[in-house]
Amino acid sequence: MVILMSGIKKDKKMSSRDSILKAVKNNKPELLPLPEIDLDVFNEDINLLETFIKSVELVGGRAKVLNSISDLDNEIKALYPNAKQIVSSVKESDFGTVSISKDTDPHSLETIDLAIIQGEFGVAENGAVWISENDFSIRVLPFITNDLILVISKDAICLHLHDAYKLISKRERTFGLFVAGPSKTADIEQCLVIGAHGAVSLTVMVV
Amino acid sequence: MKVGLFIPCYINQLYPQVGVATLELLEKLGVEVDYPMGQTCCGQPLGNSGYEEDSKGACQLFVENFKAYDYIVGPSGSCVYHVKKHFDILEQTDAVKKVRNNTYELCQFIYKVLGRTDIGASFPFKVGIHKSCHGLRGLRLGSCSERMDDPYSTEESLLKEVKSLELKTLNRADECCGFGGTFSVFEEAISVKMGKDRIQDHIDSDVEVITGADHSCLMHLEGLINRNNQPLKVMHIAEILNSTM
Amino acid sequence: MAHAKEAEIFNRDESKVNWHDKALWFVRNKRDKAGSNVKGWEELRNLASAIKANVLSNLDNYLVQFEENAKKNGVHVHWAANAEEHNKIVHSILSKHKVEKVVKSKSMLTEECHLNPYLEANGIEVVDTDLGERIVQLAKEPPSHIVLPAIHKTKEEVDVLFQEHLNTKPSNGDPQYLTSEARKHLREKFLKADAAITGVNFAVADTGGVVVCTNEGNADMGTHLAKVHIACMGMEKIIPQEKHLGVFLRLLARSATGQLITTYSSHFNKPAPGTEMHIVIVDNGRTKQLSRDDFRASLHCIRCGACMNTCPIYRRSGGHSYKTTIPGPIGSILSPGIDLKKNSSLPFASTLCGSCSDVCPVKINIHEQLYQWRQIITKEVKQPVVKKSVLKITGRVLANSKMYGFMGKSARFMLKHMPRFMIYSKLNAWGKARELPKVKDGNFDEWYKKRQKNE
Repeated sequence: MVILMSGIKKDKKMSSRDSILKAVKNNKPELLPLPEIDLDVFNEDINLLETFIKSVELVGGRAKVLNSISDLDNEIKALYPNAKQIVSSVKESDFGTVSISKDTDPHSLETIDLAIIQGEFGVAENGAVWISENDFSIRVLPFITNDLILVISKDAICLHLHDAYKLISKRERTFGLFVAGPSKTADIEQCLVIGAHGAVSLTVMVV
Repeated sequence: MKVGLFIPCYINQLYPQVGVATLELLEKLGVEVDYPMGQTCCGQPLGNSGYEEDSKGACQLFVENFKAYDYIVGPSGSCVYHVKKHFDILEQTDAVKKVRNNTYELCQFIYKVLGRTDIGASFPFKVGIHKSCHGLRGLRLGSCSERMDDPYSTEESLLKEVKSLELKTLNRADECCGFGGTFSVFEEAISVKMGKDRIQDHIDSDVEVITGADHSCLMHLEGLINRNNQPLKVMHIAEILNSTM
Repeated sequence: MAHAKEAEIFNRDESKVNWHDKALWFVRNKRDKAGSNVKGWEELRNLASAIKANVLSNLDNYLVQFEENAKKNGVHVHWAANAEEHNKIVHSILSKHKVEKVVKSKSMLTEECHLNPYLEANGIEVVDTDLGERIVQLAKEPPSHIVLPAIHKTKEEVDVLFQEHLNTKPSNGDPQYLTSEARKHLREKFLKADAAITGVNFAVADTGGVVVCTNEGNADMGTHLAKVHIACMGMEKIIPQEKHLGVFLRLLARSATGQLITTYSSHFNKPAPGTEMHIVIVDNGRTKQLSRDDFRASLHCIRCGACMNTCPIYRRSGGHSYKTTIPGPIGSILSPGIDLKKNSSLPFASTLCGSCSDVCPVKINIHEQLYQWRQIITKEVKQPVVKKSVLKITGRVLANSKMYGFMGKSARFMLKHMPRFMIYSKLNAWGKARELPKVKDGNFDEWYKKRQKNE
């Protein structure tokens, strides 16, 4: 029964923290090396924009390529003619009707129809866009809004997540995320349904 | 090259024709084959049931029987895998190491060691391969559907050269048949269901003869086919490769 | 044989078995497609496995580093030796904030610790917000799969359940309608929750941050609306550096559901102004598993569920047949480490086909560990007398050529000459649905001897 008994024996005086760490130290194997990530294995010479657009569609979103940032508002108007409560954190868009600040109660965003948020970059392999708290001041915004538009520059698309983590390695770390498509679920009999708890649609504007 | 013929216990007792085909096939290929009398079993049924300790005598006997040969060849992927993988319970003497290194599944031996694919066989039937798990994922007789390696298959390479044979593609390339040794009796319900599903896949794929490199899986499938009177035949791959129909 | 019995019951409804099998095989196929589109997939698995092996070999230092960095970010870090302590810690945080309503996103750890009943007994409402988890919560069942908690339920069953609990209209199981009703129902819960509990997919030692992945957005809806966020994690969730997320996030969703990535991969580093963030690091048997050379690698698991989707037994017996928090192949190597006796049938609920090991994104040698657990179980857990003695005698026979020759002959004789009703009796599980092999006149030994004589 030796094998079953070699776990942690909790010393009454010791905190759980210390007893856990002590047990780990006693039970862990000899140090194994941390491998290097060789990017040559994963790099591919592909068209980043095309791949990104295909990936966005695969994850249930839609991508629109704009020739100029000045087309942004017209494009949004065409897509969401009925949106009334709109938050925009993209400075080139005058479409916002609701202004928010760090002091806004997140619960009050429940009625937002559309959020337009500046994304930092896209990832070709999976259609994800990185956005960080600095881009939308209230964390719940990209989730609670009914529809979501992310705007990125067409020069800001990287190949895969390895490159993506290089791009965000120097950020101020508060809260940030990769968003890939609209919120979705397949929890009822594996049937994909778009629109679970978060935004029911996602459009990526590539400028 | 001196080859020791390893005929697993259940083949020896229940499917002697598979042993015969294996021997004849090897001789046809110009191999000098010797069948050491007194061989019993590799110990797999015990090991897989959790009684590895009690199999040490059988394993040791296996080593004694085969240690003199350059190669040990047997028509059963799972038994060969057991020798190579699980004889680690024995003290690793030179003899044990030699036996573990030089034991080959029949198709693997023909393809890899002899470097042959065309054996001059002919077999005018529609054939489906059952890729037994221990051969596939243990011995890596072929690429499995889970891994993203370049596709290859030892059994297919050999069967493709058999004249008039039509190889069929299955819906599920390499799903387990549910035999699993004592699993087949201790988890009878699932074992039977898995076997039925495998057979249905072959029927749906217009197969006339199911073959494979492991007769234990085939025994299970054959048992179901015979009980349910299904229009399929089951043959070991050695029988097909040894055939000149 | 506990699992075998449950599996036999599940198999009484063959059409349901077929349905369950197909649903999961569909996911497995999607996974294959997603993986095949990644250049260097196998190398990615090698990396993930090697990183996890490094983590386990240096876990204490990484944990301390993680704690330090998390604290610098203003996050409260707690340590729990076991489930009971974990539940107490969570409850004490909630009490401090006078929390009455909690929303919780998916966390297998809190399932393992049975947090929900504990909090409910203390008068706190806990609502599981992942749709699948909410379904099983309403049905008062445990999840049957770690990624697809309600995979065992048909849409018609969900329809009836929602009619009863959410006052929905009968819809013949329209997933679109049922999901939209669940969205409304849970939106209310999010808006009223005082605290949010989440699991942790990855905890990054060198930043002190945690990453939570969901498709539905439920973890984020909860955490960003409530004042308090409690993230509960098993201690093996640590990875050394943030760049390693690149490896794991590429593997996770593809392995789990065949998606390129989950919809949301949220990186929590600092609490939002005016809110509190807590992380509870839990051992609950993990240090024990760490001590076992043969089973340590089970702690590589990133809870993708791919081994369940691929397992031909899981697909045909359902997650509930395992009677453990984590079912399927990975559960069958983790659970014996927690309670050997209770879970002693699980390592035998496998043909050792090895599909689980080859599908696993972190390359856990699951089927080899199942084999190893079997060796331990036959020694340490009382075995059925018949099985034990038969196999022990077999061992002796197989070690002796003469005895084997005699036994082989007599077995064949019996098979050939005994009346059918005796062979196909209740005692013969093989013969219930299968014919036994037709016995030939001689065995190979005899044929070979004859041939030698004639030569």
